[in-house]
Amino acid sequence: MVNYGGDEVSALVLDIGSSSTRAGYAGDDTPKAIIPTSYGAITSPDGDVQMSDSDGNPTAEKRKVYIGHSGPSLWRANMEIHNPIADGLIQDFNPIPALIRHAFEDTMRCSPSEHPVLVTEPAWNTPANREKMAEIMFEEFQVPAFYIANTGVLNTFAAGKGSALVIDVGQTMASVIPVVDGFVLRKGLAYSGLPQLVYAQARHILTNPTQARPAIDLTPHQLIFNKQPVELNALPIYTLREDRAAATTPSWRSWAENKEVEEWVQSVAGVLDQGWNDQSAAMRPPKQYEFPTGYSTWFGAERLTVGEQFFWHSPQLMNSPGAPRIIPSLISDSLRACEPELRQVLMGNVVLTGGGSLFTGFADRLANEMMRTFPHTKIHAPGNPIERRYGGWLGGSILASLGTFHQLWISKEEWQEHGSAIVGQRCK
Amino acid sequence: MAASIADVRSALSISAPPSSTPGPSQLKKQSSQSARKPEGISRELYSLIGPSAPTLAAQLAKPRLKQKPNLGGGGKVKWEWRKFKNGARADSLELGHWVKTNSDPNADYPFAKYNVQHTVYSWTPDEYSRYLHDSEWTPEESEYLFKLAIEYDLRWYIIHDRYEYPGTARELEDLKDRYFSICRKLVRNRPWNGDEASRNQLLASFSFDKDREQVRKKYVANLENRNPDQILEEEALYLEIKRLEQNERKFKRDREELLRTLAGIDSGLPDIVEDEATFFTVDTSKLQKKKSRADLDSPSASLLPSMTRRVAVAKDPAEDAKHCIIRTELSATTPATKAAHTPAYMRSFKLPYPKAAIAPRVTQVLTELGISSSRLVMPTRDNCQRLESLMDEATTLVELKKAVDKMSQDIDVVKTRLDIRETGEEMVHHTETDMEMDERGTVEPEGEDGRAQSVVSTRSTRSRKHGRRSMSVSSVDTTATSSARPPTKRQKRG
Repeated sequence: MVNYGGDEVSALVLDIGSSSTRAGYAGDDTPKAIIPTSYGAITSPDGDVQMSDSDGNPTAEKRKVYIGHSGPSLWRANMEIHNPIADGLIQDFNPIPALIRHAFEDTMRCSPSEHPVLVTEPAWNTPANREKMAEIMFEEFQVPAFYIANTGVLNTFAAGKGSALVIDVGQTMASVIPVVDGFVLRKGLAYSGLPQLVYAQARHILTNPTQARPAIDLTPHQLIFNKQPVELNALPIYTLREDRAAATTPSWRSWAENKEVEEWVQSVAGVLDQGWNDQSAAMRPPKQYEFPTGYSTWFGAERLTVGEQFFWHSPQLMNSPGAPRIIPSLISDSLRACEPELRQVLMGNVVLTGGGSLFTGFADRLANEMMRTFPHTKIHAPGNPIERRYGGWLGGSILASLGTFHQLWISKEEWQEHGSAIVGQRCK
Repeated sequence: MAASIADVRSALSISAPPSSTPGPSQLKKQSSQSARKPEGISRELYSLIGPSAPTLAAQLAKPRLKQKPNLGGGGKVKWEWRKFKNGARADSLELGHWVKTNSDPNADYPFAKYNVQHTVYSWTPDEYSRYLHDSEWTPEESEYLFKLAIEYDLRWYIIHDRYEYPGTARELEDLKDRYFSICRKLVRNRPWNGDEASRNQLLASFSFDKDREQVRKKYVANLENRNPDQILEEEALYLEIKRLEQNERKFKRDREELLRTLAGIDSGLPDIVEDEATFFTVDTSKLQKKKSRADLDSPSASLLPSMTRRVAVAKDPAEDAKHCIIRTELSATTPATKAAHTPAYMRSFKLPYPKAAIAPRVTQVLTELGISSSRLVMPTRDNCQRLESLMDEATTLVELKKAVDKMSQDIDVVKTRLDIRETGEEMVHHTETDMEMDERGTVEPEGEDGRAQSVVSTRSTRSRKHGRRSMSVSSVDTTATSSARPPTKRQKRG
């Protein structure tokens, strides 16, 4: 029992990210429930849909909410797609209880009121946000104990380290978080919405024609009635579902199209290990990809320009005020704010994590970029995609099953006694 | 085949059953007895041999599977879900975990002991005004610092990161310095009820040198701010030094080998310790010369004793002088390695002898004086030294003579040429020879100088060897210059 310092108290771990929400038991190596954070909602006029359902948000009776794998991805008439997360932070707390309930009760079939719950937060979370989360867990779910931990720290733990420079590339945010002895150095924290730009760029590449191919139609399969197999590079032959066209909301359509872009990026896009070079880009083998319309083609150098956006921007983009900072500049900003003595430690323990870092060649490129300035860099990049994508959850799973951690839980008693101030005191 | 059961029994030397007369009824009885027969032995055989063949029965036992290891406990372990209280918590939170049923339900939570608390130092306003006053710190800020230090368990990087006191910007060193100085002052000025040693130990644990830390940090920053060129240069230098060390080691090994064969160090001595210190074990008296030669690659001459070694400061110099005891002083830096070891030797064995190239001439000079260069009747230390200096002087003399001869010959040659020119030869040739003369005039003395120096400095066999080598080179020189033909530059360089 005392082996490895572990002591399972059957805690639950909840990690809400911008693309997916992960939930599972502490001590497991993979989350039990992985559900999309985006949800669908149909707002019907008064008197149309009156039945109150379990998924429904109690504050808005007229609104029906669809969560989970058959939530946003199923086409429903007039369904809008929302995402409660913006810039990595929870902006809209209304759907959060429903999301948590779906993860714990509908997917894992367990009651959060019987388990201590560890929730993750991004390093730049606001105190108000974490207190709100504690309130939801204690008041709404009646959890016996609660803790909120930083994803940077958890990623460090997931890599088996105490101090590390965590480079976390998610779906919307890229961040560089220096962690020392299990604490985030807030002054060294650097983050930007770089992945959003990368996906926008990828979408731009696809939807604009090139010499080799026409502009690509990103119509999702839910809107396609039938299609015929066509030759490579031939124009697609497909029929749209005219019945659905009228009731498709713009938010659903853009969500579905973004999903197509994401899938294309995940299967095709990559990055060159040694900086951009037209020749070496041309040397890399092209990859074939087929879109839901049936159109398929080879993608050569342009698939590599997508990943390049993480590491290099044109000077005019770099100098424009609103542009997100690229990863090398995030790293140098972060290190500049750290003590010189710490830099050696941090560069020896770089942890690459986040689903956005699963680009082909991303880790190699990052290593090359960093070697240029810091020759002794060591990058820990888990090869297992589960570990890379759910590093934060995994760290939470490790932390919440440690015997020495159980003194840190905020108990319900403490919550009732001290109120929301206890969250800031305990979760440093 | 009329062998009865009795015969078989007697053949197997088995005692007969109680009733010796076998009959059908008896047989039946026996078979009922054989109900207790061991496993794996057939009924017939058992009835033949009876119960007195246990070894046979054991061998015939039915083969079984390998026994399972007994892992202790002997039975099932029961686990139960049990609520527990954590001693490290201040509240009444009860969490549950699986434990063995037989474990003590009242035992302390095993992980509570890792909750180590630091000693919290606090002070009264009076103490603050008396001991802790610092013009740069207010009492409130000091309190704030201590609160943070406790909150983050003295993790200074974190404390520095989270330190946000309005109106001040503090460096990490400032925080540490303030914290440790307060702790030191409190420990020093408060009554102490332990012994002095533990107090000093505690004080030592609070020691902090701010200036040194800052200098160190500056060094670290400098180290990081090196540009690639500097790093490359540093690496190249490092490689170079490694190479030199390797050469030196190799050379040392070779020398060791040579010494063993020549000087007769037998193999019973301790093994060679390959340490860098021996690299620099140069006798202090030689050091000066070594430096002037600036020739690190030349073999270190310190290993064999030199005749000029200083007389050691003995305990009683008068006594030593009386008994002609000469103490060789071992330099303090010489480690006790085999390489640095000087075996005992007869002084007469180490008589100096002249350079091979001019040895006959020197010997001739000495013979003219009536001295045998190879044998001393009384090889005392003084005599040896005298012989050595004599030999040196003879060598110098011979060399000077040679040089003089050469120069005069050169002069002759030039004179001859001058004569020829005067008689009406072409002008171009003349200037050429003149230039060559100039060259020789500047270069030659240098070579001469260096040679002389090397001769003087070589006293031991090792360095003499080196000297001899350079001599042989310069002897080529001499022959070249002594011939009427003007020498080329290349030859001079050797």
